[in-house]
Amino acid sequence: MALLKVKFDQKKRVKLAQGLWLMNWFSVLAGIIIFGLGLFLKIELRKRSDVMNNSESHFVPNSLIGVGVLSCVFNSLAGKICYDALDPAKYAKWKPWLKPYLAVCVLFNVTLFLVALCCFLLRGSLESTLAHGLKNGMKFYRDTDTPGRCFMKKTIDMLQIEFKCCGNNGFRDWFEIQWISNRYLDFSSKEVKDRVKSNVDGRYLVDGVPFSCCNPNSPRPCIQYQLTNNSAHYSYDHQTEELNLWLRGCRAALLSYYSNLMNTIGAVTLLVWLFEATVTVGLRYLHTALEGVANPEDPECESEGWLLEKSVPETWKAFLESVKKLGQGNQVEAEGEDAGQAPAAG
Amino acid sequence: MAPVLPLVLPLQPRIRLAQGLWLLSWLLVLVGGLTLLCSGHLLVQLWHLGTFLAPSCPFSALPQFALAASAVALGTGLVGSGASRASLDAEQYPPWRGVLGPLLVAGTAGGGGLLVLALGLALALPGTLDTGLEEGLGSALAHYKDTEVPGRCQAKRLLDELQLRHHCCGRHGYKDWFGIQWVSNRYLDPNDHDVVDRIQSNVEGLYLIDGVPFSCCNPHSPRPCLQSQLSDPHAHPLFDPRQPNLNLWSQGCHEVLLGHLQGLASTLGNMLAVTFLLQTLVLLGLRYLQTALEGLGGVIDGEGEAQGYLFPAGLKDMLKTAWLQGVGPHRPAPGEGPPEEEPPKEGLPEA
Repeated sequence: MALLKVKFDQKKRVKLAQGLWLMNWFSVLAGIIIFGLGLFLKIELRKRSDVMNNSESHFVPNSLIGVGVLSCVFNSLAGKICYDALDPAKYAKWKPWLKPYLAVCVLFNVTLFLVALCCFLLRGSLESTLAHGLKNGMKFYRDTDTPGRCFMKKTIDMLQIEFKCCGNNGFRDWFEIQWISNRYLDFSSKEVKDRVKSNVDGRYLVDGVPFSCCNPNSPRPCIQYQLTNNSAHYSYDHQTEELNLWLRGCRAALLSYYSNLMNTIGAVTLLVWLFEATVTVGLRYLHTALEGVANPEDPECESEGWLLEKSVPETWKAFLESVKKLGQGNQVEAEGEDAGQAPAAG
Repeated sequence: MAPVLPLVLPLQPRIRLAQGLWLLSWLLVLVGGLTLLCSGHLLVQLWHLGTFLAPSCPFSALPQFALAASAVALGTGLVGSGASRASLDAEQYPPWRGVLGPLLVAGTAGGGGLLVLALGLALALPGTLDTGLEEGLGSALAHYKDTEVPGRCQAKRLLDELQLRHHCCGRHGYKDWFGIQWVSNRYLDPNDHDVVDRIQSNVEGLYLIDGVPFSCCNPHSPRPCLQSQLSDPHAHPLFDPRQPNLNLWSQGCHEVLLGHLQGLASTLGNMLAVTFLLQTLVLLGLRYLQTALEGLGGVIDGEGEAQGYLFPAGLKDMLKTAWLQGVGPHRPAPGEGPPEEEPPKEGLPEA
């Protein structure tokens, strides 16, 4: 019993071929869009690779780029096949290639689906990469004199301004590291000397944050230093003050940004996958309908198109049989060779 | 009556003219679309920067007129492409015959007029930006501290975001902040001696400090931002005034915004000029095509040589004919039938 049989007369076959030709060219466009999205994601990851310790995984954008290119190639080929399908002479040269081509198409569809899934699942690895990268970035904030790390201050400042965030998990992360370079500390001042001596590692820690943490929505000028000292500022309570600095941590902000980006790209890829699956199914029907044309001299006759010649369990059994036969065939040949060699050696 | 600027158009040149006109029309559509996008972009930019431009500044009229002019140019291009395509096909041309005349008049008068007006505005209006920005920025700076005054409470946030995004500080430099009170009285401690001294030493009772808001800070500076006591050389250790000052943004917002908006206006002006040129060419080509085909009586494939012209007669003759046509029906002469209609009917002179 064939799977999902559909009857095709000449007109229906022609319509199917034309429709498939159009859909294939739309798929080429969709492939270009996926390629573009992969490229965009790659560029966005590269832009912020400084705060991700240059160790971020480019697996998702690379696979999107690859799948986009493959989609363009396969679909333009399929479009050519559909165009030639209307002409029996031209179709004859494509006939032997169609079955393996359809198998490749099915594999490609599976790959596309897996790539779409990856877009949604890679959030976890990005989170840990961001946590490490931001921690290091903040550690090197003060090293504006060290070659190779002198741009970290500018990068972190512009990141905090652009993404409206402060620190790794919150602004208190800045209290735990020395973000003011020793070069700009006056070591003759008593206050500086006290602070450095009171710290085990000899670091100059302050309860203050860089200017890029300031929130422009605050009604009062930004308070950056002595944040935990209520008496240092008039009418200030650090436990209820919410508008002075950005409250979100940069890890959460960047993660949310990249998650949204990858979710959108994943959704678009799933839509393209559905489209590609439809195109593959249509191509299979066209293939079987043209194969089923009983009399090649009479193109007007009716034929049947189906997805699988037998039902799914029977097809699976037949596939396993053919694989076993292939294996057995090799075994028999090998045994024959051994038997032949043994007497020859013996 | 001799036709103005006649051009003999046999069949092949007529076909060439129609094909060339079709290409030119699609080019006009493309350029018109781009100009539309450009004027839309300028409109959006002006909407964002609305607080920093005085309300009396007429600059916002430019993108509005440019939008209208480019929309008309787009329409002209579409009409031109349709008409030139139809003129190659005998079946499609007849419905265009009656419509083309009035469309040409509308395109020339309306579209041409709007484009010339928009071009004029693009040349004249950027000059008014200077005063508009002075007023607008001055008012924004003065109201920076009024975060509790309804209607002005957004000034601080908008000015901070402007300085952060456009990398500028103050109107012409950071010292502008020294001359105004940018700290709201609500956050000044009346028991603090320093505050009281400052306020009393000022004629108008303003609290002026030699400090700037955080949004003036330059992230490229190697040291954490110095915002306060900027005129005191001993307040900050190791501050070397001889080194280039990377601490704050050195440009004033007035210069930055002026350059930004004038750049956008000049781009828009260039695109309007190109659109104007293309539209003139398309309208001229359509006119010649129309008159040539009318000369053949609307028969597309006529092998005869037709003459295309801009106007059937000189300006004086046209005015006389128009006047006679207007006055004639009131004084019907005996034995005269209705006046022969000259193909095509030309009413208004070119605007």
